[in-house]
Amino acid sequence: MPSLEELQKDICDAICGGDDTGLSELIAGDGIDPRARLRIYRNHAVITLTDALKATYPVVCRLVSDAFFAYAAHEFIREHLPERPSLAEYGAEFASFLAQFPPCRELGYLADIARLEWAINQALHADTVVAVTRGDLSGIVAADAPRLVLTIDPGLRLVESRWPIERIWRANQADGDPDLTIDLDSGGVRLRIHRRGDRVVLKSLSPCELAFLQALANGDSLTDAADAALRIDLLFDLAAALGAILEDGTVTGFRLETPSED
Amino acid sequence: MAKHRSTTRDGLAAAGIGLRSAHIAEIMETRPAIGFLEVHAENYMTGTPAVAALEALRRDYPISIHGVGLSLGSAGALDREHLARLRALVDRIEPDLVSEHLSWSGLPGVYLNDLLPLPYTEESLEIVSDHIDEAQAALGRRLLIENPSAYLRFRHSTIAESEFLSELVRLTGCAILCDVNNLYVNADNFGFDPWAYLAALPARAIGEIHLAGHHRADIDGRSILIDDHGSAVSKPVWDLYAHALDRFGPKPTLIEWDSNLPALPVLLAEARYADRIGAMQAAERRTRAVA
Repeated sequence: MPSLEELQKDICDAICGGDDTGLSELIAGDGIDPRARLRIYRNHAVITLTDALKATYPVVCRLVSDAFFAYAAHEFIREHLPERPSLAEYGAEFASFLAQFPPCRELGYLADIARLEWAINQALHADTVVAVTRGDLSGIVAADAPRLVLTIDPGLRLVESRWPIERIWRANQADGDPDLTIDLDSGGVRLRIHRRGDRVVLKSLSPCELAFLQALANGDSLTDAADAALRIDLLFDLAAALGAILEDGTVTGFRLETPSED
Repeated sequence: MAKHRSTTRDGLAAAGIGLRSAHIAEIMETRPAIGFLEVHAENYMTGTPAVAALEALRRDYPISIHGVGLSLGSAGALDREHLARLRALVDRIEPDLVSEHLSWSGLPGVYLNDLLPLPYTEESLEIVSDHIDEAQAALGRRLLIENPSAYLRFRHSTIAESEFLSELVRLTGCAILCDVNNLYVNADNFGFDPWAYLAALPARAIGEIHLAGHHRADIDGRSILIDDHGSAVSKPVWDLYAHALDRFGPKPTLIEWDSNLPALPVLLAEARYADRIGAMQAAERRTRAVA
């Protein structure tokens, strides 16, 4: 008899579409081909994991039809099984899978819609962190401002696309207009994705706002982040940008960087 | 509203329902009378807003946390990170019941999203009981272990499932979650007597009963029951439930409905029906005691 470990490894392989001949002898048929019995489990895994992907990527599914989504999901699941039981965390690689999936070659924007939906999913499931307010920063004297480093909410996501993915996404929401014609050449978008309360809010950013937030999210100091924004737009307004991210709950911590020795 | 806390020594007084996301808002708003709410642990392990909803609901309803991902039957070590997340959820919600399955779900780093059957052998018994010991120590409380539905059985099994569960109770002090629909499905699929199975379980260790719907499928020209939680509880499962209550006495009972989810009142009506069967069984037991 195989050990339990060997048996479970073989069943895993069989459910993933591998060879199941050795298992047939271990499974009582009771009138049904043991391989057909294993297929019940394989089908269950594919169906429920497809449902999990559909829950995370509803707009991708709407854009391509249920049947095509099921086909793409099936191919994806063959390569990517969940690593752990929390299915809200399953499917991170679906966008890059779609980007390489030959049948989707004509739908250049689809992978970016998937990236947006994954970002929304991550924002929705992120831990809630208390935001810093203007008042919390009132003790910082102007002379220390160059050493100020702000912490951005770890649940906040930034997505950039050369396609109008925000408009496509909104048109495919329950209250959207699915018949809306969207010109795919109407330009790209930079989005800040952030949960406020129970809802995830999408906000369109200018190129310098994106550079500013990206730098802060990378842990750069406030002055370095402002420099990054100014390199894109000389008219970047730091006071307005700082005020905005304090208003909308983007900042969840701050510290004064110790000046380096050199 | 008064908390529907358990009032009898037999546990939660009225039947509960599985809490599904589509019903959360309606339950929050209307606060219907429900014996308890049961949630799948794995849906509440992130920072999802659903956790805040559950924290609000636990003020009015007893909560049961039902794990589907701990994989107590996996040959390797338990997923310690998953166990830690389960513990954090249990600490936060302080549920009345915490349950898991007599099954396995994958290998380290691979989760098949299913409750797969085990060969019932001495080796499996040792592995599962060690894992239950570890989980109960980590959670600081007794686990209820559910009998799974199954579509295959292993030739090298040497222990009957009812005996396997009884041994787990003896070895670990765990309780049993008796899923009457799973039992009915398995008895039909493998041709054994569900009444004898119930008779072999230790009545005092039964901590909860599950009820759900199933459907009949055709495979290789043979009919097979699939436990899909996608319909009302069937007549023969209600009959088996009545028999289980007759044998075990009143037990917290849960209606599970996961696919083809109906409107909330349909689910509540199923729970009320379970309560009626419970009341009838209790009356019968009293009559017998007098006679």
